[in-house]
Amino acid sequence: MKTEYEVVYRTHNTYEENVREAFFSFQVLPCQNESQVVRNVSLNNSLGAETFQHPNSFGFEVISLHTVEPFNTFEFEMRAVVEKDQTLFPVEGILSVEEEQEQLQNHLFYLQNHQFLGFDHYTRISEMYRAQLLMQQPQQTVYGYLQHLNAFVHDLLEFDSEPTHVCTSANEVLKLRRGVCQDYTHLFLGIARLNRIPCRYVSGYLNQGLHLTGSAVMHAWAEAYIPGFGWQGFDPTNHLLADAHYIKATHGSDYADCSPIKGTIKTNGKQKTSYGVSVHPLQEPSTARQSQTQSSFQE
Amino acid sequence: MDAALRQNQSNGILGNYQIPPQFLDEVFMAPGQVHPHYQAVYRQFQEFSKEDFKELNEHAKMSFFNQGITFSVYSDKSKGVERIFPFDLFPRIIPAQEWARLEEGIIQRCVALNLFMQDIYGAQHILRDKVVPAELIFSSKNYLKAMLDFKPIGGIYNHISGTDLIKHSDGQYYVLEDNLRCPSGISYVLSNRVAMKRTLFQVFRQFNVSTVQEYPQELLATMQSVAPKGIDAPTCVVLTPGVYNSAYFEHAFLALTMGVPLVEGRDLYVEKNFVYMKTINGPKRVDVVYRRLDDDFLDPMAFKPDSMLGVPGIMAAYKKGNVNLLNAPGTGFADDKAVYTYVPDIIKYYLQQDPILNNVHTYRCEKDDDFQYVLENMANLVIKPVDESGGYGILIGNKATKEQLAEFKTLVTENRRKYIAQPIMNLSMHATFIEGEDQFEPRHVDLRTFTLLGKDRQFVLKGGLSRVALKKGSLIVNSSQGGGSKDTWVMMEDGAGMSMEQRDSMEQSMTMDGQTMTMGPQGMSIGTEGTMSMGKPGAE
Repeated sequence: MKTEYEVVYRTHNTYEENVREAFFSFQVLPCQNESQVVRNVSLNNSLGAETFQHPNSFGFEVISLHTVEPFNTFEFEMRAVVEKDQTLFPVEGILSVEEEQEQLQNHLFYLQNHQFLGFDHYTRISEMYRAQLLMQQPQQTVYGYLQHLNAFVHDLLEFDSEPTHVCTSANEVLKLRRGVCQDYTHLFLGIARLNRIPCRYVSGYLNQGLHLTGSAVMHAWAEAYIPGFGWQGFDPTNHLLADAHYIKATHGSDYADCSPIKGTIKTNGKQKTSYGVSVHPLQEPSTARQSQTQSSFQE
Repeated sequence: MDAALRQNQSNGILGNYQIPPQFLDEVFMAPGQVHPHYQAVYRQFQEFSKEDFKELNEHAKMSFFNQGITFSVYSDKSKGVERIFPFDLFPRIIPAQEWARLEEGIIQRCVALNLFMQDIYGAQHILRDKVVPAELIFSSKNYLKAMLDFKPIGGIYNHISGTDLIKHSDGQYYVLEDNLRCPSGISYVLSNRVAMKRTLFQVFRQFNVSTVQEYPQELLATMQSVAPKGIDAPTCVVLTPGVYNSAYFEHAFLALTMGVPLVEGRDLYVEKNFVYMKTINGPKRVDVVYRRLDDDFLDPMAFKPDSMLGVPGIMAAYKKGNVNLLNAPGTGFADDKAVYTYVPDIIKYYLQQDPILNNVHTYRCEKDDDFQYVLENMANLVIKPVDESGGYGILIGNKATKEQLAEFKTLVTENRRKYIAQPIMNLSMHATFIEGEDQFEPRHVDLRTFTLLGKDRQFVLKGGLSRVALKKGSLIVNSSQGGGSKDTWVMMEDGAGMSMEQRDSMEQSMTMDGQTMTMGPQGMSIGTEGTMSMGKPGAE
């Protein structure tokens, strides 16, 4: 069963003073993988500047543009059609707890996944908070544990866009007990990695038909490595598993690898930025939607 | 010996020289008795009276003022104060054979470190084989994931290396640091030589000293050798952070002597993953950038987002192979002082050779037993942060106060990965003119060497920056910490020499080891001139 979505990303910036030179980079393109195919990509910007692309460190396409024409408003829009497949979920019991641990403790496995096991500004969790965290139990499988962790992070925090910002770290989130999808995700990443489970930050889009938290803007969730299965997406903000309603754009070690827009501009005044997304199924297969939501609640 | 000379010896600038008892003196073996390679220079310096020498010293200083060679210091008290780097006229002399071995060792080290960086940003064999602990690399803030699975044009990372050496009291050279990011100091090497020639030309011309002034052309050739594919006449530039950088003079100096543009970030831009320079004739594509800008500031799109010094998008252009950067971004993990411990293993791993140069024993505070040792023996150790340069943040145990020791114990305990410790090395001492005392006194010296690696080319500058700790008893030689410098003479083989002359506008000839090569309208000829014998191998 396939679902087709139209995904639109739009940003609108206004500047008090003329911008004399600017360079922008966007990481907003839905990516291609086993479960999603991207078609009909169109890019538009109000400056008429020619865009160019390059793959980032993780192989995801970055769209850039440079301009020396003065301007005081800037709009950028990306439209794409994404065909999304049903996703498979991990099945318990393929590997024993011992076999799973053997793989996670393997040196070569560690080298291959070290970017998703390290601790940096966003994901480091100080000693003082560790005792209150949910850690993997000796007889627990990785998948079993991560589903509990997803619930734990979801319950621990209250969704609130006020107190946090793009630089908020897991430590600050633990102190505030509030945050947005980015903060939920960083905390999930930090705890999973403390258990030596490779875990990566994902940025993407949510089907807006479900009215989930975080669907009005680009969403963030985590992907963790389940031995014997592979990468599985966890959305602690909504306490869901990532399924066909989740359209992935990029992944990386943390937010710093995935920020949707970056820019360097030469101007003197202040600026205002607003952006939004729209994600809608092109033809609504209502039965498919139901089964999807059910499967993502299976635990 | 006539009376005047005798008097100079007792009252002259070298008369009261006290040989340091516990250190190696590079010049003197015993009072009034110098090592053979210093004999001739010593004789010349003995002839100077105090007054003569003070005048010469002033003359040399003026040479630096006139060349505009100044630097500034980053510290709280004296922000932005322009200073001259103190220069000492008594040269540091390294005999040809001693240098030959050093040069071999330096090349070996730089080549091995380049292979190490290739491997770490590639297949990571050395980590798989657990020769170097993976955590040590991954925890370095200079390990850049942007460089993973990417190989720069020509496969070179450390195009320019500044290997720091010291001579210990056992007479052996030890490597103190491998500087693989943006090692500075080369402009001082070249201007020291200019000052030396201007001030003491009659002395200098009597010696067969290896030249240093070819460095800018060697650097340019290195840059050209790693130009992007298909570019025959690459446009090369020097990228500086700007006039407020402490090494701005050097950036300008190198651009000028190489004959390439000196640019700031705002002079460049990226369009469709190519780098362009803004010129009055419109945009000009840039192929090779010698950047004297730290990784962090290089590209706000890839690294520090608020950097206004860099060029947005340059990393993408670099990874597309459309521009080359010297040195490659991300070399800093390899000159991390905790990784330094493993350099001998790194040399053995990649080259299957024994290291030629010695490493100083290093305690990594991250390791439990090393950490304990450091805490208990701090007063006999040098404590260094692993990722700083310029001599900042260093503690020398036996010179530190109780408060400083306590402060460092806290610092080290709080961030064990950030600190290493080494035994206090007995840096050799060298006769140095001390203003105020108006005589020569022994001072500690080290040696920064400069090595260039390009595609199929290697070059070690025969010379270097001999840095002198001017403060009595001090071991810190960095210019930012009150150091001075000396001209460093690497001698040519005994009996061998090279001279070049232009007979008239049509014919050039070069003489090397008695062989004369002549180039002119009649073509090129090589022959032995006169009765001079070929260089005697091994004779010195």
